[in-house]
Amino acid sequence: MFALLEDAGFKRVRSTVVPGFAFRKDSTRDAAEEYGVKAVLFTAQKPGV
Amino acid sequence: MTEIAVLQADEPAPLEGVIKGEVLRMYQEVAEHPEGEFHFYHGRQAAEMFGYEREWLDRAPPGAVASFAGVGNPHLRSRLQLGETVLDLGSGAGLDSIVSAWQVGPAGRVIGVDLNPTMCLRARAHAAASGVHMDCQEGRMEDIRLPDASADVVISNGVINLSFRKRRVIREVFRVLRPGGRISITDIVSAKQLSQSIVNDPKLWAS
Repeated sequence: MFALLEDAGFKRVRSTVVPGFAFRKDSTRDAAEEYGVKAVLFTAQKPGV
Repeated sequence: MTEIAVLQADEPAPLEGVIKGEVLRMYQEVAEHPEGEFHFYHGRQAAEMFGYEREWLDRAPPGAVASFAGVGNPHLRSRLQLGETVLDLGSGAGLDSIVSAWQVGPAGRVIGVDLNPTMCLRARAHAAASGVHMDCQEGRMEDIRLPDASADVVISNGVINLSFRKRRVIREVFRVLRPGGRISITDIVSAKQLSQSIVNDPKLWAS
């Protein structure tokens, strides 16, 4: 996502992992951990001012 | 981070129709039966976990709170100002649109986009019950029906990862933002390439 935002032309792209995000079911949570799945908050600005 | 999004890039995918149907079904299920069990936390429990202000959750219609299915809190960094125009991509049952409408005030404007017409109806009703107005467009985030440079802020919560054409979604977000406009988007990313069995599983896309 970070790269997609930069490629589109966004500036000041920032990302922060969302604390506390987790899947509820153990099976999904385990798979998510294995693949490094996280929730992330992205902020960015369109240039021009 | 590698991301689910990049794996599919802009390529048409045969599974897209199946996945789209499952995603619609899953989120409608959350809206209609919020007491149900899902792969993800939802409702007030999830919103509190992500730092939504309790005052917002007490003030919003119970249906909007119970159906909340976000993965974070875009309002933490949205810095909305009175009078701004906000686009809520994947507005669902409307909680994030309602919170945005409170922040931009009556001089501002909130526009939701959702693939599911039922969710748009629900979001509009929840907004009205909250004393605010929101427009909601039934449509795809890959083809946003707004003019260029028409939004000050785009928010989204756990939705862009569901698109097979994420690059196109981001281009559309860029297009509809005015110069100097900003985004505050929470979403799911993956550090590793997902196995084909996961990519091909509609239920996991919808979770």
